[in-house]
Amino acid sequence: MECSFGLTGKDYVLLCSDMSAGRSIIRMKSDENKIKTLGPHLAMAYGGEPGDTNNFAEYVERNMRLYHIRNHYPLLPESASAWIRRTLAESIRSRKPYSVNLLLAGYDTTTTKPHLYWIDYLGTKAVVPYAAHGMGVYVSLSTMDKWWFNDMNKREGVDVLKKCIDEVKKRITVHFNFNCILIDKDGIHHIDIESEDPITELESQQPKETLVDAPNPPLDIGNVGVTA
Amino acid sequence: MALYHNPPMAYAQEPNTAPIEHRFNPYSDNGGSILAIAGKDFSVIAGDTRQSEGYNIQTRYARKVWQLTDKAVLATNGFSADGNNFVKRVKQRLEWYEHAHHKPMGLKSIARMIQTMLYGKRFFPYYVYNILGGIEEDGSGAVYSFDPVGSYEREACRAAGAAQSLIQPFLDNQIYFKNQQPESGAEPFIPGNLPLSTVLSLVVDSFTSATERHIEVGDGMEIYIVMKKGRSTDDLLGEGKLQKGMKVEELIPLGESSDDEDGQGGERTFLVRQALKRD
Amino acid sequence: MELNGGSVVAMIGKDCVAIASDLRLGNQAVGIASNFDKVFPVNDKLYYGLPGLATDVYTLREHLRFRVNMYRMKEEREITPKTFTHLVSSTLYEKRFGPFFIEPVVAGLPTPTELDPHPKPFISTMDTIGCITTPKDFAVAGTAADKLYGVAEGLWEPDLEPEDLFETVSQTLLNAVDRDALSGWGAVVHIITQDKVITRTLRARMD
Repeated sequence: MECSFGLTGKDYVLLCSDMSAGRSIIRMKSDENKIKTLGPHLAMAYGGEPGDTNNFAEYVERNMRLYHIRNHYPLLPESASAWIRRTLAESIRSRKPYSVNLLLAGYDTTTTKPHLYWIDYLGTKAVVPYAAHGMGVYVSLSTMDKWWFNDMNKREGVDVLKKCIDEVKKRITVHFNFNCILIDKDGIHHIDIESEDPITELESQQPKETLVDAPNPPLDIGNVGVTA
Repeated sequence: MALYHNPPMAYAQEPNTAPIEHRFNPYSDNGGSILAIAGKDFSVIAGDTRQSEGYNIQTRYARKVWQLTDKAVLATNGFSADGNNFVKRVKQRLEWYEHAHHKPMGLKSIARMIQTMLYGKRFFPYYVYNILGGIEEDGSGAVYSFDPVGSYEREACRAAGAAQSLIQPFLDNQIYFKNQQPESGAEPFIPGNLPLSTVLSLVVDSFTSATERHIEVGDGMEIYIVMKKGRSTDDLLGEGKLQKGMKVEELIPLGESSDDEDGQGGERTFLVRQALKRD
Repeated sequence: MELNGGSVVAMIGKDCVAIASDLRLGNQAVGIASNFDKVFPVNDKLYYGLPGLATDVYTLREHLRFRVNMYRMKEEREITPKTFTHLVSSTLYEKRFGPFFIEPVVAGLPTPTELDPHPKPFISTMDTIGCITTPKDFAVAGTAADKLYGVAEGLWEPDLEPEDLFETVSQTLLNAVDRDALSGWGAVVHIITQDKVITRTLRARMD
């Protein structure tokens, strides 16, 4: 009973996840944040076995942070995806594997390119323009096949995302609330996907207001961006 | 003392709760492969002659391709007992038809009849894949392929049986010209229009390939060629037309050729045999 | 194997070898990516393909890159196709009782030496635990293996020139994966000759 998807645009990447938590048919929470920010320009939407999910997400988060502290710059999306994949691939052949699927989204500040990775609990990694995990797969992938195109601007991207969410609401009997972020050169922003025009809202606000709290602000004060 | 009322039973004494069941399995798989290709005015229906069960070869010559009428040939593959019995029943129905209507059944009618016969046993099916080839009423070469419960379709070619997965993509490429395009300015490809010599070469190549890589295919090959009435047989019987090792015979007409008003004779069926590797 | 799908084929030609793969990565019947390469270079005369479980494709590839780099540094020369095959084989056999779900295919041209001025083109394939086969014609692996066998057996002939080999391997792969639900979604072909490698991405059916 989980649903997450992500898509890349010209200079940003969108990530969207449902917010339900529960067991079998019972929902115990409908405002659980299942997107973890892993750095100033990196975040992941995760799902899977409850317990494993948060434990693994925090493990990744702290390791990304550790890398940032040690090197004074964060791990780039490509490298982060390789590290996460390897961690899961080692885990799958261990005594107690993590059962976590995730979408990793990041903005590479060195190349100004968005990145999206589809990663599953086996350590399978796919570099994709758009992706989905969970129940969303069956409706949102075809929606994105139809509407996604290269180098979409933010408004077009959000429109596709809205179409996906509409499709999920229409075709899937389970009700979901969605949590959505956008990563661009300025960092990670929260997006109110339910609003009429999230991008205008986003642009009308001060950049600082919309920024999602990075778990810990970067150490080198005054230079929030990435210095690779 | 209640603790000791039920002393732990030794594992050896434990009763077997589930009785061992023996269930008769009415089906078997006898391997082999068949294929058919339609031409403009002929049809080629072929099969290998090996019959096996598991790793055991039961015989190196078992027939899988059957002449039904002067213009229809049926190939069966799967469980050979079912196949043989099915052909027997089809032939019986064809005989009844001829008695009732004083003419042999047409190809597309045979195809529809096979569907109803197969579907009639929907819940205890003949474990057989059928391919019917022959000459349609309009004189065109035709191939009909069936699944075990009667779903069927007219096609330009079809492979079935153990080596279907090996042969069918090859035929897609060579008969349907899949993943190919004509050179600019050249004629467009039309499936089902190949000359007989090309079709025969493809059939032989398909079976030698399948024999090379599939253990259930081999020993021998029988190729039935049904020709439209009045068609020249030069491209089959002409000097040097047959490949090395091939033997051809013409099958005597089954009908009384009473409808031979145009003086062209009826459809003609030829049987070409060739040896395949026996390992 | 059937979890992610994917197929690889390699063929020998006249002083050249070809290796090709499809580009699909799936999660059972659902297609996830159409850019998942399964063929990787070792050097400009040696390529290998890893069809099978996608997580093991990455893991094995990373592992082999490490082992080949170590070989290169220690030996100060490039690894030969034959040695590389045995390297892959022993890497697989190390995991005899918990194998990588991969059936590798290796294709390469050995560099001419004084002892062997005209080395033969080389292909090899292995099962999941590293049992080597070195065919004289072609090697196939993956979810469309049986289809590839059928078409390759029909189309391949000895001593094909590079461009003819390209056509043969491309037609073999495309027609085989079109009959396989778990393979396809594009293809990539590498033709290795003594003086260059030709790499072409093929358009294919996307269903």
